[in-house]
Amino acid sequence: MANYEPPVTDYDKIVENCTCAFCGCNCDDLDYLVKNDHVVGVRHACRLGASKIMEDMDQRLLVPMVRNNEGELEEVDWETALNKAAELIAGAQRPIFYGWSETSIETMHHGLELGELVGAVLDNQATICHGPSLQAVQNVGYPVMTLGEVKNRADMCLYTGSNAMNSHPRHMARYTTFPRGYFRPRGRFDRTIVTLDPKYSDTAKMSDIWVGFEQNGDYEFYNAIRAVLKGKKLKKDLISGIPKEDVEELAESMKNVQFGALFFGLGLTHTLSKQRNIDIAIQMVADLNKYTKWVLMPMRGHYNVNGFNIFMAFETGFPYGVDFARGYQRYMNGETNTIDLLTRKECDVFMVIAADPGAHYPGGAVKHLAEIPVIQVDIHWGPSTEIADVVLPGSFIGVEAAGTSYRMDGVPIYMKKAVDKPETCRDDEWIIKELLERVKNIKAEQGALASK
Amino acid sequence: MEYILKNGIVYDPANKVAGEKKDVMFRDGKIVEMVADDAKVIDVTDKIVMPAGIDPHAHVAGPKLVVGRLYRPEDSRKGITNKTAVTRSESGFSIPSCPATGYRYSRMGYGTVVEAAVPPLEAKHTHEEINAIPNIDITPLALFGNNWFVLQYAKQGKIEELAAFVSAWLKLVKCYGVKIVNPCGSEAWGWGMNVHGLDDPAPYWDVTGREVVTALAKANEMLGMPHSIHVHPNDLGHPGNYPTTVETMEAIKGIEKNSPIRDQTMHLTHAQFHAYGGTSWRDAESGADPIIDYVNKNDHITIDVGQVTLDETTTMTADAPMEFDLHQLSGLKWANKDIELETAAGIVPVIYSGKAPVNSLQWAIGLELFLKVNDPWKVCLTTDHPNAGPFIRYPRIISWLMSNERRQEMMDNREVHPWSHKRTSLATLDREYDFNEIATITRAAPAKIYGFQDRGALTPGYNADIAVFDLNPNDIDPSRNPAAIEKAFGSAMYTIKDGEILVKDGEVVKIKQSHTLWTNVKGMEEEEKAVMKQVMPDFTRYYTVKFENYKVFDKFVPNPTVSEVQAGK
Amino acid sequence: MTYVDKPALPKVVKFDEPNEKLRNILDVMLNTGSDIYQGACKKRGSTLKDEYRKVSGIAYMDPKDMAKLGVTNWDHVKVVSDWGEVIVYCAHSRDAPHEGTIFIPKGPWANVVVSPETYCCCDPTYKGIMCTVEKSDDDVLLMADLMRAVYKKYVKTEDEDGIKDLATLGEMPVYKKL
Repeated sequence: MANYEPPVTDYDKIVENCTCAFCGCNCDDLDYLVKNDHVVGVRHACRLGASKIMEDMDQRLLVPMVRNNEGELEEVDWETALNKAAELIAGAQRPIFYGWSETSIETMHHGLELGELVGAVLDNQATICHGPSLQAVQNVGYPVMTLGEVKNRADMCLYTGSNAMNSHPRHMARYTTFPRGYFRPRGRFDRTIVTLDPKYSDTAKMSDIWVGFEQNGDYEFYNAIRAVLKGKKLKKDLISGIPKEDVEELAESMKNVQFGALFFGLGLTHTLSKQRNIDIAIQMVADLNKYTKWVLMPMRGHYNVNGFNIFMAFETGFPYGVDFARGYQRYMNGETNTIDLLTRKECDVFMVIAADPGAHYPGGAVKHLAEIPVIQVDIHWGPSTEIADVVLPGSFIGVEAAGTSYRMDGVPIYMKKAVDKPETCRDDEWIIKELLERVKNIKAEQGALASK
Repeated sequence: MEYILKNGIVYDPANKVAGEKKDVMFRDGKIVEMVADDAKVIDVTDKIVMPAGIDPHAHVAGPKLVVGRLYRPEDSRKGITNKTAVTRSESGFSIPSCPATGYRYSRMGYGTVVEAAVPPLEAKHTHEEINAIPNIDITPLALFGNNWFVLQYAKQGKIEELAAFVSAWLKLVKCYGVKIVNPCGSEAWGWGMNVHGLDDPAPYWDVTGREVVTALAKANEMLGMPHSIHVHPNDLGHPGNYPTTVETMEAIKGIEKNSPIRDQTMHLTHAQFHAYGGTSWRDAESGADPIIDYVNKNDHITIDVGQVTLDETTTMTADAPMEFDLHQLSGLKWANKDIELETAAGIVPVIYSGKAPVNSLQWAIGLELFLKVNDPWKVCLTTDHPNAGPFIRYPRIISWLMSNERRQEMMDNREVHPWSHKRTSLATLDREYDFNEIATITRAAPAKIYGFQDRGALTPGYNADIAVFDLNPNDIDPSRNPAAIEKAFGSAMYTIKDGEILVKDGEVVKIKQSHTLWTNVKGMEEEEKAVMKQVMPDFTRYYTVKFENYKVFDKFVPNPTVSEVQAGK
Repeated sequence: MTYVDKPALPKVVKFDEPNEKLRNILDVMLNTGSDIYQGACKKRGSTLKDEYRKVSGIAYMDPKDMAKLGVTNWDHVKVVSDWGEVIVYCAHSRDAPHEGTIFIPKGPWANVVVSPETYCCCDPTYKGIMCTVEKSDDDVLLMADLMRAVYKKYVKTEDEDGIKDLATLGEMPVYKKL
C-alpha cells in the first residue's frame, strides 16, 4: 500500500482536548503527541486538520523580513520590521486590515483599536466567502442552531452548495450524519442525507439522495420547493434540469421529517445570484417551520471567521467590512468591502494577518496589491509573501499559542497551547500590540509637530 | 482620595432617607461616614442624590445580542456617534454595541445591570461581551429551565442532586443565579412545538413547567442563593395568559425562603407580557388585576414590569417558540438559535406604535402594574430591554409614572389608541410616583431582590455607586414637567462608580472596566463531585464539545465580584 | 518533505463517439472552490512546492471533454477567460459526469481567470465563469514563478517582456539571510 506510515509510538506526552485550527468545525477533541516540545503526531484530526498541524517546516516563516530595493526579501530584526510596518500604517490614507480569521479574538482586540486609531477598514474572509450569506440574513432572518442539536435530533441533513467531505471532512463524522445522538441512537441509519449539487461530489457519493440540478440552477430550484410547500402546482416539467415530480417528492419528504437541518456553502454565495440564493434558502427553511422543525447553518470555512464577525458585531455593531475612515463605523456592501476597494484602487496600504489574498483573491484585486505596500503577519510562506513588503512571523494559534475562537455555530472555544513557538517567532497578539504602540507614538509625534 | 457630595437632597430608601438634605462621603471606592476636612468637595446643593441605578432585567450581553446586531444593520446605523477623546464610537438603537451599552447606562446614572439570560454552552461569549461593556457592573443569570439534566432531576424529584447541579454549573459558567424561561417550552421547540400552560408536559421528557419551577425553587432555597429563581412564565404574549401567570406564582407558595436579605422566593419578570385577558387579539383586554391582587396579597413574589415604550425595537428572548409565532403574525425577519441540551432563543424586530390598538393596550397594562401594586419594593422598572423598548427610555417611563397629567394627555390626544383606556383601568388611576418611590423601583428594590450587600444603598461600607441628577425636588413639580424629568434622568449630573466620577453633565468623562458578579456556593463539594460523575457520561455522549473546554476559564472573568454563599445556611 | 506526490486520479477512457470529432478548443463553464488535496497542501504551508502545483494548478474535467480535446491525465491545458489566461494540468474529475464544466481548485492559478466583479455583494464571482480550454505545450508554473509572471510586483520594467526566460524561483523560500 503506497503512502502507508506506521503509527507514531515515539512521544513524551499527549496533550488532550486540543482544538483544531483549520475549518469551521473547530473539533476540540484532538490529541497532540508531543516529543521534545514538537508535535510529532495527532489523533482524531481529519486530513485537513492533520496536514496543518503536521506542518511543513520548510516554509515556516521564522524571521521578520523587509523587501529591499532589488525586490528581494531580506531578513531584519524585529525592531526594523515593526518600525517599517508602523510607519506605513501611520502614513496611510486608506489602510485595509484584512484577514483575522485564523488568529485569536485576543489579537482582534488590538487590531480593532489600531483600526479605530488610523481610520482603517477592517475586513475578513467573509468578504470573499459568506458575506452574501450575512447579507441574506440581514434581509430575511437567521434560523440557526448549535451542531449538537443536529447530532441529537436531526433525521434529515441537507447539504447544498457545499462539498462537506472536502471542505469540512469531520462535519458529517462528528456532528451531523454518523454520530449517535440522543434521539438518533442508530446514527447514520436514523438519518436521511440529501445533497444538492450540480456535480456528483464526494459528499453526494455518501448521501441517500443526490439532486444534481443545473449549474446556476439553485435559485429556481428553491423557488420551486417553496411553491410546492405553499400548495402551488408547478407548470414547467423540468426545474433546473430536475423533473417536477422529483421536486414535489423532495418537498414532501422535507415536510415529513421530525427535524431537518440545511447546510449551505460557497456553491450558493459564489454563483451569480449570490445573496439571493441564500435569501431564498432561508425563506424555504422558514416556510418549512410551519410544518415541522427545520434549521440551517452556513458552513463557515475558517476556525475563527465567525469569531471575527461576532467580535466586530459586539464591538461595533457590524459584522465585516467596517470602515473607520470618518471616525465612526460605516458598513456598506460594495463600498467598504476589500475586493471593491482594491479593484477601485482606493487602498494605499494593505495589512494581511492570518489570511492569504495572494492565493485566494481574484487576479483583478491582486493586481492592485502589486502596486501598494503589503504587510503580512502569518506563519507560512505563501502566495501573499510573494507580494509582501514587510513580513512578520506569527504563531500558530491552538498549538503554540492559546486563543479564543468561535465555531461555525457560534460556540466559543478556548484553544489551548500545547508546545512553545519557535524562538524567533512572536505571538500574533504581541505583534499587533507592538504595531499599535508604535503607531500611537508616531501619531503623537506628528501631533506635537503639527501644533508647533 | 476622599470626596464629599455636599448639600444634595438624598433619596436612599434602603436607609429610609427620603428627600433629606444630607452629605454623602466616600473614600477609596466605598461610602464612608466621615471624611477629613481636606476632602474634595463636589457641590450638589439642592440636587437629587441617589444610589446608582440597578437594572434587574435586561439583555445586554450574549450570543443572541450578536445575532440581533448582525442581522439588523439598520438598527446599528441608528445611534452612531463619532469617537471622542474618552469614548469610542457608538452604534445601535435597540441593540447598542457593547461600548455604547456601557456609556448609555452610565449617562443615565446606572451602575449595575443584570444580563438576564446566559446559555451555559456559550457563556464565554457572554463574558467576552461583558468585558467589552465599560462603566457598569454586570450580573449574569444562567438558563436552567429547559436543560436536559434539570428536566430529568425535576421529573425524578431529586432536589439535592439538582441543587448540587446548579451549584456546580454556576461555578462552571460564572453566573449569579438561576433563570427559567418558558420551562419545557423551549425544549418542545427543539421539535418545533411549544407548551401551553404550566401543566403541559414537554415532549419525550414528560415533565411539566410546574415540576421544573418547583424543583428549581426548592434547590435554590436549599443553596441559600442571594437571588431567588427568576422566572419568565409560559404563554408569554398570548391573550388570556394571566391564569398561567397566577398559577406560576402560586405553585411555589409553600417553599420556605432561605436568605437574610430578600423577601421573595420567585421574581416574576416582565409581568406586562403575562397579564393579558380575553381569548384572542380581537377581544384582548387587561389581565393585570388578578396579578396585581396576588402580588399585593403575597410577600413571596416580586415582579418587574417590562414596560412598552412605543418604539421600533427588537424582541429577543429565550422563549423561541413565542418568537416564531410573532414572526408569523408580523412577517418581520426571524432569527433563531437552538442550543444543544440547554435552551433556545428567538429574535424578531417589532414596531410598537401608539396608533396600534394592541400596542397601546400593552403600554397601558404595564402602567397599571406600576400604579396598582401598592408596595414599590415589590415592583421594578424594566423594559425587558430590548423587548418592550430600549433602556434609554427609562427616564421617559419615570416621567409617565410621576405625571398623571401626561398619561391622560397621551390618552386624550390619541398619542395612544383608545384601547389603552377602554380595555384597562388606566384612565381611573391618578397615582403619581414620588422621587422616593422612583428610587425604590430603580435602585433599592432591585438590590434587595438580588441580595446585593454592596450596592443599591448609600450605606457606609457599600460601593460608592452614586448618581446625581440636575433636579431640585423642592422646585419642580414632576406632574407638570414630564419633559424636564425625562431630560434630567436621562443625563446625570454625576455618575460615580466605585468612587470614580465616570459621567459629568451627561458626558462620559472616564472609562472603567466592568465587574462581573457571580455566586460561589460553598459546602457542596462532595455532592457536586457526585453529580458531575452522574452527568459526565451523557455530557460526553451528547454535547459536541469536550468537558475540559466547556467551562468559563478565569481569564474570561478578569474582574470578578464573587458572592460567597454557604449552602444551607 | 512531501505530503502527497499527486492526487489519485481515475484513468481517462476514450469514448467512441462517431459524430464527435477532435476539437482544438472547447467552450466550458469554470467553477473554482475547495478541494481536499488543495486544502491540505495550502494550510500545511507547502505552497512553493511541486505538490501544491499538482493539487491546485489543475483543471478537473469530464472524461468526455478530455476525449474531445485529445488530452489525458497530467497534460497541460490553457484556460482563457475574459480576465486572464493560465496554464494548468488537466485531470479526470472524481465528480464526473459534468460535461461542459471544469473545476480548478481555488488558488493562484484559478484566480488568474476568475472574475473580480462583485455586483455590490462583496464576493467576487468565483463560479460560473465562461472560458475556453485548449491543449498547450507551455509549462505549468510553480507558485512563485506564477506570482511573478502574472503580477510582476518586483520585476524591473526592462525585464517585463522576458519574464519567461528568467530563472525559476524554485521550491524553497528565497530571501537574504542576516
